[in-house]
Amino acid sequence: MDAITSLFAGFETALTPINLLWALVGVTLGTLVGVLPGIGPALTVALLLPVTAKLPPVSAFIMFAGIYYGGMFGGSTTSILLNTPGESSSIITALEGNKMARKGRAAAALATAAIGSFVAGTIGTMLLTFAAPAIAEIAVQIRPEAKFSLIMLAFVTISATFGGSPLRGLISLFFGLCIGLVGTDLQSGQARFTLGRPELLDGIEFVTVVIGLFAIGETLYVASRLRKDKASVIKLEGNAHMTREDWRRSWKPWLRGTALGFPFGAIPAGGAEIPTFLSYTLEKRLTKHPEEFGKGAIEGVAGPEAANNAAAAGVLVPLLTLGLPTSATAAILLAAFQQYGLQPGPLLFVTSPDLVWGLIASLYIGNVMLLALNLPLAPVWAKLLLIPRPFLYAGILVFSTVGVYSLNNSVFDLVLLAIFGVIGYGMRRFDFPVTPAIIGVILGPTAESFFRTALQQSNGDYSTFVRQPLSAFILFIVALSLIVPAVLKARRQSAVG
Amino acid sequence: MPDPVPPAVSLPSAARRPISVPDLLVALGVVLLGLLLLIGTNQIATSGMNTVVGPRVFPLIVSVGTLLLGILLTIGVLRGHRAEPAMEEDTDPNAPVNLAPPGLILGGFLLGTLLLQPLGFVVGTAVMYFTVAFAFGERRYGLMAGVAVVVALITYLLFTRGLGLTLPAGILKGVL
Repeated sequence: MDAITSLFAGFETALTPINLLWALVGVTLGTLVGVLPGIGPALTVALLLPVTAKLPPVSAFIMFAGIYYGGMFGGSTTSILLNTPGESSSIITALEGNKMARKGRAAAALATAAIGSFVAGTIGTMLLTFAAPAIAEIAVQIRPEAKFSLIMLAFVTISATFGGSPLRGLISLFFGLCIGLVGTDLQSGQARFTLGRPELLDGIEFVTVVIGLFAIGETLYVASRLRKDKASVIKLEGNAHMTREDWRRSWKPWLRGTALGFPFGAIPAGGAEIPTFLSYTLEKRLTKHPEEFGKGAIEGVAGPEAANNAAAAGVLVPLLTLGLPTSATAAILLAAFQQYGLQPGPLLFVTSPDLVWGLIASLYIGNVMLLALNLPLAPVWAKLLLIPRPFLYAGILVFSTVGVYSLNNSVFDLVLLAIFGVIGYGMRRFDFPVTPAIIGVILGPTAESFFRTALQQSNGDYSTFVRQPLSAFILFIVALSLIVPAVLKARRQSAVG
Repeated sequence: MPDPVPPAVSLPSAARRPISVPDLLVALGVVLLGLLLLIGTNQIATSGMNTVVGPRVFPLIVSVGTLLLGILLTIGVLRGHRAEPAMEEDTDPNAPVNLAPPGLILGGFLLGTLLLQPLGFVVGTAVMYFTVAFAFGERRYGLMAGVAVVVALITYLLFTRGLGLTLPAGILKGVL
């Protein structure tokens, strides 16, 4: 089989000592930033982009992949040991996992999360190994009209369909699109929205936007309403480990969680949040211990954690085969590809097989490393939660400054960073999700380019988007994704009122 | 902990709530952004081009979209909708909002930015570090100053020596 041969070649790339080292650096950093509040995998990859410009792309992506998977593992540690969840996809883990930890079962909760993440990550990566080349083969024939429509689908599902408020999600998306417009138009050479500043002719670096909205915005927001009482971190005695009974109750939820998570990650459906909720509901229905749910049921940690990680693997399918990111971290990985002059999409498997297969192989390796890092070293990671917040957030700000300043050695960029920080504060205060803005900044220029290519091929006939069958079908789904949630909401409200 | 929120916010009926001024300002801000984008779109030069799709088309779509979404948001706010502040790991949803710390952080950041080139990277970022720690309520000044300088120094050495980037040395030129 082709995929197997390619995968073996990928392992040859990933198993060189230097690349193993980068994988180790990646998973360690990923776990670290996953555990720490205020900084996550999306932000970390963005911060490292200017730094890694000199690395060979394969090594850089092996490290990024480690950060991506590591962030998921680390996030569960925080949600189990600390009483508040970090990312929305670990809300469920916090729900049952924290209850378990409070009952003195922290070790078992951490173990089922880590082993479940490993199982789901590995199965997810296998599915990716076989699905991605198959999809890439079909995707080569997709025309620009349909590519544009696919981006519209990602835009709408990420910002409107699954968020709390579609209107606020769309406003966030359009804000991102505006930022993406700034700079010189590559096709006509005209300056757009540069306000006469020469610094803006090259456009606004998305790294500045990402770090401003995430890191600076978060720091300002947390400072404005800081938790005064000490966050109660649960003490962990010894390693993360499970009893035979825990294994017996965990393995089925792991597999079911994986089955739910992977497809949800692979379709542009807004990331890992939905499958974790679905997995939790499913486990609650199937369990033989319903009385434990809400009080610390191990199934309620095992299933959602597996779903979360399988979704993370699933997200890589549209990213690698179509160049379509469906989460903030995936969007930043896409931008990382573009920094190296690579365009993710079906052709990537033909033009850079070393890179793609080295990356996929490193995911298997990273998963093993993460299991080894997270089971015995759980108490070490738990200690990180005790870092005093003033020193933690001050450090995040300093690293953000280095990351942005080293882009162009420009003070102007730092002023932009402050502006985006204030906007990021406002978005948190006024309930605008940040991810759609990031997707808008990164995918907006690509969307415009497909839009214009399609129209040039049709001589300016706008109906080309609905006459090309695949494009029309995707646009139909786009319309449904906008209308159906609104209708459902209206019906729910009229039923209540 | 008693509820510190003013009574106007905690009224149960969603439909009868008074209009929230901050929410209204944000909504009008989005409308304004849409209008400014429209003006900006009109200023993009298109003369002497015979391309099928000029550089104005996509910006026009984005501007009109932003404007419409802003109008929708304004209508919602005028009907009493308001945003719920986000939940984060280290925030307390019941804590009274205090804008002094973020203001301080921003001030420290801009001061550090100004000092970055004349006095050097280490001084600039140490100033930033110190202000953030202060704004987050830390008051052990000696410890803060010490950690600030050490973090700034390590970062500088890591990025210049380790990763080969150029950062301004400033007053420490020759020492480092």
